Amino acid sequence: MRWRPAAAALALAALLAAAGVGLTRSAAGTGRDDPVRSVAADLRCPACQGESVADSRSPIAAAMRQAVSDQLAQGRSRAEVRRWFVERYGPEVLVEPPARGVGLLLWAVPALTLLGAGYAARRTLRPRSGPDGGPTAPTSPRRAARAMPGARARRAWRCSALGLIAVVVSVAVATRSLDRPGPTPTPADPVAVALGLARDLEAQDRYAAAAQMYREALRDRSDDTIRLRLAFALLRAGDAAGAAQAATEALARVPDSPDGLLVLGLAQRRTRPVEAPRTLRRFLTVAPEHPAVPEIERLLAARP
Amino acid sequence: MLGELGTASLTVGLLCAVLTALLWLRVALFSAPIRPARLATAATFAAAAVACGVLEAALLRHDFSVRFVAENGGRQVPLYYTVTSLWSALDGSLLLWLLVLGGYAVLLAGRRYPLRLHAYAMTVLSAVAMFFFALSCFAANPFRTVDPVPADGPGPNPLLQQHPAMGVHPPLLYAGYIGLVVPFAFALAAPLAGRQGRAWLRMARPWTLPAWAALSAGIGLGAWWSYAVLGWGGYWAWDPVENASLLPWLTATAFLHTALGRGAGRAGWNRVLACASFVLVLLGTFLTRSGAVASVHAFTDSPLGPVLFGFVLLAVVASTVLTGRRTAEPARRTGSPVLSRNTVVLVNGVLLVTLAAVVLIGTVFPLLSGPLAGVRTSVGPGYYQRTAVPLAIVLLLAMGVTPALRAGGWTRAVRRLAVPGGVALATVAVVGLLSRPGLPALTAFGTAAFVLAGLVGELPDRLRRAGRGQRVGRLAGTLAHCGIALVAVGVAGSSAYGRETERTVRTGETLRVGDATIRLVGVDRTTGAGQMSARARLRLSESGRAERTVTPALRYHPARDTAVTVPAIDTGLLRDTYVTLIAVSPDSGSATLRLAVNPLVGLLWAGGALTSVAGLGAAIGTARPRRRSGATPGGTRPATVAARARVGR
Repeated sequence: MRWRPAAAALALAALLAAAGVGLTRSAAGTGRDDPVRSVAADLRCPACQGESVADSRSPIAAAMRQAVSDQLAQGRSRAEVRRWFVERYGPEVLVEPPARGVGLLLWAVPALTLLGAGYAARRTLRPRSGPDGGPTAPTSPRRAARAMPGARARRAWRCSALGLIAVVVSVAVATRSLDRPGPTPTPADPVAVALGLARDLEAQDRYAAAAQMYREALRDRSDDTIRLRLAFALLRAGDAAGAAQAATEALARVPDSPDGLLVLGLAQRRTRPVEAPRTLRRFLTVAPEHPAVPEIERLLAARP
Repeated sequence: MLGELGTASLTVGLLCAVLTALLWLRVALFSAPIRPARLATAATFAAAAVACGVLEAALLRHDFSVRFVAENGGRQVPLYYTVTSLWSALDGSLLLWLLVLGGYAVLLAGRRYPLRLHAYAMTVLSAVAMFFFALSCFAANPFRTVDPVPADGPGPNPLLQQHPAMGVHPPLLYAGYIGLVVPFAFALAAPLAGRQGRAWLRMARPWTLPAWAALSAGIGLGAWWSYAVLGWGGYWAWDPVENASLLPWLTATAFLHTALGRGAGRAGWNRVLACASFVLVLLGTFLTRSGAVASVHAFTDSPLGPVLFGFVLLAVVASTVLTGRRTAEPARRTGSPVLSRNTVVLVNGVLLVTLAAVVLIGTVFPLLSGPLAGVRTSVGPGYYQRTAVPLAIVLLLAMGVTPALRAGGWTRAVRRLAVPGGVALATVAVVGLLSRPGLPALTAFGTAAFVLAGLVGELPDRLRRAGRGQRVGRLAGTLAHCGIALVAVGVAGSSAYGRETERTVRTGETLRVGDATIRLVGVDRTTGAGQMSARARLRLSESGRAERTVTPALRYHPARDTAVTVPAIDTGLLRDTYVTLIAVSPDSGSATLRLAVNPLVGLLWAGGALTSVAGLGAAIGTARPRRRSGATPGGTRPATVAARARVGR
């Protein structure tokens, strides 16, 4: 029966080779490697809890995915795109903190635990030379096994009873002075991220998408500056009615806001051409130093 | 009226809990009669039961003068979810916690154990109950009255009204969490009880098994709930609440293994793991209930943080002081052979403890990075994929080596592992050549095949050699290991082969992933019963299966300003087709849909169920023969049949 070991070795070699090929094929890549997704998976969605930009469905995440896609299309590497996001929004935009500084804890604690537990296991497995049932070991348990002598037991009783009651009292006292916690802080301020994205989109002349981001920001923080930015973006996107409405909302609180008057006047040139000159003239009186003044004067002169 | 009754029952409960702890302490210190202590334990349990009953009655009668009902009840809420809303917020779930804790205390008090060990363990248990009663009384009393009384309430969080698992998942999880107090109590009692304390492991392990089984089932149901309700298509997000349930499970699993064979020579491991499991339960409660870390599952935030943290510290100090002393162990002149149960159990312990350290540091990292670096950073799934996944695969490999542990030296061990090893290599070869699942998934498939082949191959022999009382335990152990291997296959398969796409489609258009195609037939909108909902009617066609209609929905609850996506999950034999409705256009003419194909998810649920049921079977199997001391055929057979019946389900 010489052939049996040979056949077994042959089968083993064939299996090993086939498994090796399978493993290398898999290690080469899963065949569905999406560069946008892989970068987005490393970025944290600022408007959600614990979701990456790749998984989140919020509009901010969609805009961030678009930014990643645009930059990759411009030929930047994944690391460069990642770095760009970190420079703009801080390291907290990353899902996983880098392995330096505090981030080192994430690797040091498990490594030390592994070493410590491994050492403990080795000690447990090693032959022990301790007392083998000799006279030293059982003495202390044997003494403890007897009921405690009266005085000690009474002292233990008094201490423990006081301790138990102290726990209850401290809970009662501690909860007196507690306040309801504030809202939990989100890692990266979603408003700041939305505003940053909106400015980028404006710089690329994508005003409708920028307006969408300003709306996102407004939902979290009702702020007239953001509302005016929204109005400008809407105006440039061609939505004059929306721009006029946003500007009117802002002007309802600050009637003499120069930017509000400016964008409202410009919007009215398309929605209500009759009222536009009056609004724009008010803008000129309120803010004679505004950089847009020459342009408006030219407009008003062209269409008296 | 109900409010006052509830507050009164909590106050009585607190007094009874203090009294119980003191009475058990007297039994331990002065060998006082045990009967009054048992009665006080029962009275504490009764107070918790009355408090739960009163709150449940207030919820069912819509008594909005009770604060908890005003905050979490609602006239529109269906009966089932009104009942379950008891544990839909912190204050009510604390009552459930007290009820379960009281139940464990009554069961433990009724047993006959060595007196001083028993009494010290009961003192620890009662002290824990006392703390939680104090918390409920002073900080989270759900019975405070509301003035003026509102006409209606917002109902529980809409996410908690979507899935019937809501009725079982929290109670099971609590049964698991709180069950771990028993090994903790025994581990603390053992050094106090002197010589009687040496036997603590024999008492603690049978209590750990059902708690572990309940915890496994609770974690599995939580993953299922996340998959079926949250609508993101996954089942595990390494979210703090999920991690908090995994942490004690890891250490409790390690404890169940180091305690095997009466824990010979592993006294330190047993003490540390038993204490760590319950401390991690408390730490998890602190992390997730105090708003210390943000989570999608944390449906409550409360001001209890500092108090809970204080109790965690107290538990850590008590465990260290009481069990930190080295006890003298019998000497062993020879070390364990490399291939022995002792080695594998310790390797398993080291890996599980390291895994727990990974999960723990990942979960508490936001708390540490804030004060240390000034920036609050949390940790995403990528970290766990790089750390926990390789550890889990090595753990699985260690599990596969167990068949080689029998006597017979290296040659026979290699021979025993030859077939499983061949199966593993063949699996890697076939799967790796036919598809590209990626390195971690492929390794996981191979390792799982190694484990399953080894377990199935040795099962008949293992059962044949088992003594009369051991068969149930052996069978349960094998099945639990099989369940874990199946979970590994499910996780690897669904993450490696899952495909998804997301797009806005108009009526009549289709969306396609692999061979699954959905066509949007129309969108229906309905309003009523406290919610507005949009439902997409879709025709789903897959190769080889009849075309059918699926209807994912999007529900908006104005009372809590929350939108819930209800996915439509079409479960097939090998894969799920998972459709989510993400948005609907104002004119209902188009809808944004997400279509995902999740293969092998079914194995995950099956494996989880198998593991939990096996844990329960082992609990029954170990509890029975011991009670009758000397396994009589009449004593073991019903247990075996019962366990088999459960396992067979």
